[in-house]
Amino acid sequence: MQKIIRLEGVSYSYYDRIPALSDISLEIGKGDNVAIIGANGSGKSTLLQVMGGLRDPSRGKCFFRDAEISERSLRDRGRLKFFRERVGYVFQDSDVQLFCPTVLDELLYGPLQLEIGEREAMARAVEIMQMLNIEHLKDRPSHMLSGGEKKRVALGSILTINPEVLLLDEPINGLDPKTQCFLLELIFALNEAGKTIVTATHDLTLVDEMQAKVVVLSEEHRIEKIGDVGEILGDQDLLLRVNLIHEHVHRHGATVHKHIHSHYLFHRHEDAKAP
Amino acid sequence: MANSIPPFLLDPARRASPVQGKGKVKMPFIEKGINHLAGVIKRGYVYWELSSPNGFFQKIDGRVKVLFLLFYIIIISLKKTFVSEIYIWIFILALVLLSRLPILTFYRRVIFFGFIFGFLIALPSALNVITKGEMILPLVKLSKPYHFWVYHIPAEVGMTKEGIYGVMRLTMRVINSLSVSFLVLYTTPFPEMMRALKVLRIPDSFLIIITLCYKYIFIFSRSVEDIYLAKKSRMIREEGSKETREWIVGRLAFVFRKTQLRCEEVFKAMIGRGFSDTIRLSGFKRMRTADWFSGALLFSAGLLFLLI
Repeated sequence: MQKIIRLEGVSYSYYDRIPALSDISLEIGKGDNVAIIGANGSGKSTLLQVMGGLRDPSRGKCFFRDAEISERSLRDRGRLKFFRERVGYVFQDSDVQLFCPTVLDELLYGPLQLEIGEREAMARAVEIMQMLNIEHLKDRPSHMLSGGEKKRVALGSILTINPEVLLLDEPINGLDPKTQCFLLELIFALNEAGKTIVTATHDLTLVDEMQAKVVVLSEEHRIEKIGDVGEILGDQDLLLRVNLIHEHVHRHGATVHKHIHSHYLFHRHEDAKAP
Repeated sequence: MANSIPPFLLDPARRASPVQGKGKVKMPFIEKGINHLAGVIKRGYVYWELSSPNGFFQKIDGRVKVLFLLFYIIIISLKKTFVSEIYIWIFILALVLLSRLPILTFYRRVIFFGFIFGFLIALPSALNVITKGEMILPLVKLSKPYHFWVYHIPAEVGMTKEGIYGVMRLTMRVINSLSVSFLVLYTTPFPEMMRALKVLRIPDSFLIIITLCYKYIFIFSRSVEDIYLAKKSRMIREEGSKETREWIVGRLAFVFRKTQLRCEEVFKAMIGRGFSDTIRLSGFKRMRTADWFSGALLFSAGLLFLLI
């Protein structure tokens, strides 16, 4: 499979003091569906931002289609356009991403930047609005939308560019179950349609639903393991080590259970004991 | 869902490689400036929080350090000669070294602010228009002297020896004051500083304002940095100044709105946790012998500077 993103020994630290990534080497193929998982502060978002050309690694290199991606290389107009029209980044906080006066303006912003004709840009925006069920919001300013609506608009604002790679930072965090389900189906469909999806999350349910290739980051900001979803989610020791599951006491009727808990996958009761 | 994917999203027809050599993209100065400012605030905060706990000054009680700050600011302001300011500077440098602070970062910041608020602001006072004395650097020659109201402009305008000496003394005063302030700030964790200020009977309302500012300046500088990254992620070509201005105004409104909402939330949270109008701090430690000794040492050194 053709490799589309490649990281070689990438390290990053904030203000030369706080380490966020340590010696990360990784390859992502075209059409891959990759989930980067790890506990809070393990460096998932920073890794995604390095891949998105938003942060320059302190050490190591990041390549997109064999061309190095750095602040310096993206100063070239041709390279910047080439990269940005192929790699879309959806931020965890949709508020920071949406800055145009209305939802329609948000969707048109990318295509117009790409100098796509106004008619085609409008056609793209309409099609995306239909797909995301946000046609009724088109004249509304983004600050008057709910969390789920903002997330749809943020995703739509990237999809109108038609990128090859979608970098999604905690895409379903804080959304209601119906919106979560809608977005999951959409991400799955986009991957089926050939888009490369890279998702940063600590939600193991999402990883399981996505059936993605999984990259596990440790709390020491290193890659702990790369594997398929069954292999990773079946490895309780690994998930305990990277702090993604924990021991938990809870009650079922009159019985108190204590077991390893991830709110979804390890909800088993083999070791259950009556109090 | 697969059926509803618009056909254009399935279109892979693109160039395989970038067309290079179309010139460089410049991020507008104001956008870069905003991001840089947010970075400076965050960096300052991080250095403050993570300063080495093993240095000389870090081990001293916060109350001693706050008193040291007040005492030395007074001494620095009272000294009239450049030489005595130099002695104080050497003493503070020794304290910075003993406290194992990153010396380059520390003095880069001190000199930057000292240059602006000491040297540049005081520089005009070196002219003979303001400070009379022996002319050592003539700058402008006029045909005749001018009199205006209480002002007198001589025929030859330039810098005087006394004026330059005054500027140097003021610059050193500002640098020393900043050095003492940064030394205390960088070596005292924030809660300890609050405790020390509370002991010194600083009004609670003032402490609340400082506490909230401290936390929220950092939170909002992070928001500003995220906003910058979000813009960067969607920047495909260089924008005109009109578009940049519109973006900045929109984002300012966003940050303002977010600040307002956050303020209301914080106030509700404080009320919800039983806040009335006073700050109650716990965990005052007894001063150790080492704190008394260090305090006495710093006080004695201060007295010595007052005498020389």
